[in-house]
Amino acid sequence: MEKQDIATIRAIIARGKRWDVIFAIVGILFLAVGLLTVLALVTNMALEGAGRLSLDFFTSFPSRRAAQAGILSAWVGSLLVMIVTAFAAVPIGVAAGVYLEEYAKRNWVTDIIEINISNLAGVPSIVYGLLALGIFVYQFGLGQSILTAGLTLALLILPIVIVSTREAIRAIPGLIREGSMALGATKWQTCRYHILPYSLPGIMTGVIIGMARAIGETAPIITIGALTFIAFLPPIPGVDPGAGPFDWLTSPFTVMPIQIFNWTSRPEAAFQENAGAAGLILVGMTLAMNGLAIWLRYRLRRNLKW
Amino acid sequence: MQNQHPHPLKAEARNLSFYYGGEVKALKGISMPIYEHQVTALIGPSGCGKSTFLRCFNRMHDLYPGNRYEGEIAFLPDNTNLLGADVDPIEVRMRIGMVFQKPNPFPKSIYENVAYGLRVRGERNRRMLDDKVEHALKGAALWEEVKDRLNDLAFNLSGGQQQRLCIARALATDPELLLFDEPTSALDPIATASIEELVHELKKRVSILIVTHNMQQAARVSDHTAYMYLGDLIEFGKTDDIFIKPKDKRTEDYITGRMG
Amino acid sequence: MNENAHISQLFDQELERLRTSVLQMGGMVEAQISLATDAYIDADMAIVNTVVENDKRVNELEKAIDDDCIHIVAKRQPTASDLRLIMSVSKIVTDLERVGDEAKKIAKGVRRICERGPMSMLSNATNVAHLGKEATELLRRALDAFARLDCEAATAVIRDDENLDREFKAIVRQLVTYMMEDPRTISGVLDVITIARAIERIGDHAKNVAEQVVYIVEGRDIRHLDKENPA
Repeated sequence: MEKQDIATIRAIIARGKRWDVIFAIVGILFLAVGLLTVLALVTNMALEGAGRLSLDFFTSFPSRRAAQAGILSAWVGSLLVMIVTAFAAVPIGVAAGVYLEEYAKRNWVTDIIEINISNLAGVPSIVYGLLALGIFVYQFGLGQSILTAGLTLALLILPIVIVSTREAIRAIPGLIREGSMALGATKWQTCRYHILPYSLPGIMTGVIIGMARAIGETAPIITIGALTFIAFLPPIPGVDPGAGPFDWLTSPFTVMPIQIFNWTSRPEAAFQENAGAAGLILVGMTLAMNGLAIWLRYRLRRNLKW
Repeated sequence: MQNQHPHPLKAEARNLSFYYGGEVKALKGISMPIYEHQVTALIGPSGCGKSTFLRCFNRMHDLYPGNRYEGEIAFLPDNTNLLGADVDPIEVRMRIGMVFQKPNPFPKSIYENVAYGLRVRGERNRRMLDDKVEHALKGAALWEEVKDRLNDLAFNLSGGQQQRLCIARALATDPELLLFDEPTSALDPIATASIEELVHELKKRVSILIVTHNMQQAARVSDHTAYMYLGDLIEFGKTDDIFIKPKDKRTEDYITGRMG
Repeated sequence: MNENAHISQLFDQELERLRTSVLQMGGMVEAQISLATDAYIDADMAIVNTVVENDKRVNELEKAIDDDCIHIVAKRQPTASDLRLIMSVSKIVTDLERVGDEAKKIAKGVRRICERGPMSMLSNATNVAHLGKEATELLRRALDAFARLDCEAATAVIRDDENLDREFKAIVRQLVTYMMEDPRTISGVLDVITIARAIERIGDHAKNVAEQVVYIVEGRDIRHLDKENPA
């Protein structure tokens, strides 16, 4: 090879590498913008509200006096609503996903269903609120309760659960399914012993991400009438006298985002602190849930080497 | 057909045709015997239909919509037509096992892999399962290597061991016919040789139908060979005859490497 | 036979080289027989030495061709007609080498006759020479059948070898009567019988080559079949 060729090649490589560097820098810059924005918001909240974080804050009811106001009813409300959401969304979403992936015939009907499910994920949440108001609150008469909120949010995250389930199932190699069927298993046996266990990591991830979104939804909850000033907890079965096992479902309630919204609309500065603190906690909860999703996914995926 | 062969028939394809998606004719009226306790090999260039033919035997095509069979596959001794509309494909798959091209162990333990076929049949007795798993692993020449780590993940085995595990898995349910779909194409020569050795041993227990694109493997391993081309059965005969003195020029062209 | 080319051109070239070598060796031994027969007719010692000397080259060629055969088997794992070709070439080459040896025997026989002193040319010189020409012709036809992979021509060679055998027996009968008539000629006649037998063996080898040609083309092994036990 002549020396000239080597020189030309080296020049070309150098040029290419320059673009590598440029792109890397641009990428990092944009990434930084995103990260720094989030960091700024969180820091802002922290500066405002970190001082308010205390055990009292967690265990006090809201009050007209800022110093004594707490988020007890709010976080209990969020928790209970999330429980209802999970219990409603997961079985329905997973079953629907499994049915669509494993059992339904591929024709124009299922194609339309598939398109619509994806579209549902983009529907503004307030529309879900209106839907819930009309159907759950008035038609079924479930009232402005935890049950209604849970069901509404379940509808909201249903598309996420269905899509995660389908994606998780699709990630399973066809060879595994064929392997199971070739041994004389029925479709259900294949589902039960293979499809569901192997898609569990993906499903769980989807569910948790969906719930992390639902926990912060405000518009639909307001629409169905969550109250902003709740100074009591829903009846706890076994603790409160006369409380049945499911009475808490029909109880009025509030959730964290609403409490935050309520406090930010008050003029007193002290309430802004409260809002900041509550916001910090809400972000913390969301990050924790996402962290849980990542960890679970890692643990459950360890054995699936394909 | 008049069977002068010392081995009885295990199965017989009679004018079998197959259509993908109802329209593309992948098999054109194939008639072919499968002899009991013998290894029959299917060879031919890519796209000739050998895998398609193989997968008719355990109704794998039923898993995908739009496929259509014509003709029949008689399965002896009860002379069931494997392709009959009144025959449950699951029942067929309980009598006929399959080993795939790429080893596909389940992401479970070695024990659970082999026991799966038995579980699916409702076997719950732990002692029975243990016995059958051991028997199957011995049949697949894998027992000595894994008997101390049955609860290990199957994925931790080497490629050749995984394929033998898949063979054990298929053997556990005592199939009458074993279908091998290019079982060694993903394996190195040593693993390939041990699988071929295994096939030779296995034919004492089961009848075997093996698809291979490696002609020398077909020559080494099988008693009968069928050469297929574009969905037709061109020639069927004893392996020795096919590889020394084939009757059809097209067969000769293929096995001597004169045909692309 | 299969006229189609292999996908591997190299393989085709290897087979072509093999065929050419066989024919080359065939030509060599045909020349040897011719020379040996000429030596007999002309009692020429120079030709005798040439024949003996050339046999070394015949042997070398046999080894080279066998070597090529084994290389092709190792490398190509031939099947069907290719396999039959390689196996047959190995056998044909053995037969050709033996033909070369028979030609050398003829030459050595001529040397012994010459050393005994110029003898009166026995009248059967032309008979034996004729036998020699016949055998050469038979071998040439067998090799020709190999070159063209002509089954019919090969079968004709197998048939015509019987004529050669008959002619040989006739010559021996005649020579025996000479020996009975004049015992002083016994040593010389025995030498002639040796030469004639060598020629008869050449015919047998030609027949073997023809049998291999049938195997290559049709896959039928027709060796060791006699008139009472035909194929």
